[in-house]
Amino acid sequence: MKVLVLNCGSSSIKYQMIETEGRRVLAKGSVERIGMKGAILNHQRHDGDKVKIVGEIVDHQAGVEYILAILLSPNHGVIQDRAEIQAVGHRVVHGGEKFTGSVLINEQVMDGLQECIELAPLHNPHNIKGIRACQRLLPGAPMVGVFDTAFHHAMPDYAYMYGIPQVLYKRYGIRRYGFHGTSHFYVSRRAADMLGKPIESLNLITCHLGNGCSMAAVKSGVSVDTSMGFTPVEGLLMGTRCGDLDPAAMLHIMGQEELSVNEINAMLNKHSGLVGISGVSSDMREIINEMNQGNNLARLAFEVFCYRVKKYLGAYTFAMGGLDAVVFTGGIGENAALVRAGSLSGLEFMGLKVDKAANERPDHDERAINTADSRVAVLVIPTNEELVIAMDTDRIVKEGK
Amino acid sequence: MPQNDDLKSLLDQSLPKIAGPTATDEQEKPAEIMRIAVVGAGTMGQGIAQTASQAGLDVLIIERDEDSLKISLSGIEDKLDWEISRWAKTVSDKKAIMSRIRGSMEITDVAEHPIVIEALPENLAMKKVMFSVLDEICQPESIFVTNTSTLSITEIATATHRQGKIIGMHFLYPVPKTPVVEVVRGLKTSDQTFDKIRRFAIQVNKTPIEVYEYPGYVTTRVILPMLNEAMYVLMEGVANADGIDTAIKLGYNMEMGPLALADQMGLDEVMTWMETLFRELGDLKYRPCPLLRKMVRAGHLGKKTGQGFFHYDEGGRILRKGQAE
Repeated sequence: MKVLVLNCGSSSIKYQMIETEGRRVLAKGSVERIGMKGAILNHQRHDGDKVKIVGEIVDHQAGVEYILAILLSPNHGVIQDRAEIQAVGHRVVHGGEKFTGSVLINEQVMDGLQECIELAPLHNPHNIKGIRACQRLLPGAPMVGVFDTAFHHAMPDYAYMYGIPQVLYKRYGIRRYGFHGTSHFYVSRRAADMLGKPIESLNLITCHLGNGCSMAAVKSGVSVDTSMGFTPVEGLLMGTRCGDLDPAAMLHIMGQEELSVNEINAMLNKHSGLVGISGVSSDMREIINEMNQGNNLARLAFEVFCYRVKKYLGAYTFAMGGLDAVVFTGGIGENAALVRAGSLSGLEFMGLKVDKAANERPDHDERAINTADSRVAVLVIPTNEELVIAMDTDRIVKEGK
Repeated sequence: MPQNDDLKSLLDQSLPKIAGPTATDEQEKPAEIMRIAVVGAGTMGQGIAQTASQAGLDVLIIERDEDSLKISLSGIEDKLDWEISRWAKTVSDKKAIMSRIRGSMEITDVAEHPIVIEALPENLAMKKVMFSVLDEICQPESIFVTNTSTLSITEIATATHRQGKIIGMHFLYPVPKTPVVEVVRGLKTSDQTFDKIRRFAIQVNKTPIEVYEYPGYVTTRVILPMLNEAMYVLMEGVANADGIDTAIKLGYNMEMGPLALADQMGLDEVMTWMETLFRELGDLKYRPCPLLRKMVRAGHLGKKTGQGFFHYDEGGRILRKGQAE
């Protein structure tokens, strides 16, 4: 089945055209700067053919139109007719408690997505715009929504409940939801394959360390806890987000600095994390560079980052009653050997030993970086959320027939 | 091989295949506004330009000469720098916002803009001349917005041949932060124009309030008598300035007391406004407080002169000792 996978953000759409039988990416690309001047379409075909087009793209619908046009283009395209797109898979950020797995999109589902806007006002509206655009432009193609939150839906209540008055959970759905679910799902499955064991028999901790960072405790294939919470701000230190913070400290800051809700929100989301501590950059590569040149605040940011990962490793190991493998993915997780080493240092007592040479070897493939005698495996697995969305879409569309 | 195509030709190439559903979709809401022009970029004009740009619109600002244009643009930059220092914005937010704002001294550049917002000083003759000029150069569909808070929109509209497309928007200072705008209908403003501007207001993240042309609209009419009354209370010796402001602030959960608010608005502005309400509506309750007159005559105009009902430091913060009166 040829599936178009779309990830619609506020001013961008990322897309991949995937042929599910061969798990092959036929083409991929992105539209950026939607609604601004100088919108850009970047498109790459499986054979390496690349195009970059600059122009005006007024809204998400126009963006999807351009994506279809380039996919159909005689020079750069991969299909001859729109009907060849047999289904569309959409990444949807927040499924709330309503959506516990991927769903075939119909009007009832759209109503449900509308209700989830309250939980993710920055993301869900754009996801919905993308779906609406496809309904108009590809009326014949069934569509599937795949949720960032879905993989975490089976967390036990004691893991997702905050210690605040219950009525707030009932009224506003205030609880831990977790994000990056598609990525945690993918790398946990790949890890089981790499280890050659059934996933039901494994206790895994998956670390998605990218722009946003989160960890998940995956027991018997199910996410039983994760570090992001009601929003993606909680948990690990990230590029620009603070992660765990005493909520009363936030209130104190608001009082001292006379900050509005919007200002404190921007501070926690955009001015904190690596960039907030170091004052240097939100990019781990630059943090490491600066640290190596003796910048003490960059060193501090790096160490806070690694320490948080380590702390969650400990917590989740206890939560699951054991640990078979730690998995690293995402830009930092896949590439920053120093972060992996820093997060796993001193864990030999529990049988976790990193092979220094294997960890530091530059590589872009799936690989194990633990020593032969390590009781806990340490794996680096490049994530592939688009493939999961395509495969889920394929499965659900076929089930629906 | 990377190559650059033209987006339009790409779309044209495969247009027959994909144009159908878009073209036939009738219920779709009208397209959002992509760009506006702001004529006159003083404090209010700058605020309007920033507000529209941070909502993703392209903004053209028109000023009379190079110096004024420079001052306007750096005024917006200063505001953004201040917000960055408050963590409300990032450096890349600022870049993006400034990249969408373009300056010009050629009034004819506004011709193709669907919405032109006039933010000149409150001078009826000047505004009428500007509107007749705009009427000449702009496409017939363009809507003209005046940012007046005192002048008659109906009268300004008479300078044009498109009276149905003239409307007022009363933004409150500081524009980027104040989430409300009064959308003011003149006598001949059409429903269509009102609806477009109402939607535009929402697009730039303001809550629009429908208001009919009348002295003071809602915001000014309701707040001014309170400021004036606070001045009477001070004059009659019921309490000192600090006490009055603290009582109202804490008692009614307001961010600022009435005297500090009057200082911020400018006491000359407040007095002009009271006089206008008094004259237009003829009710004694709008009689400007004699103490207000006295302070304006003394040149104590509030925050902008460093002295009003309170004393201010250079950063505009109230100095706790040495209150007036």
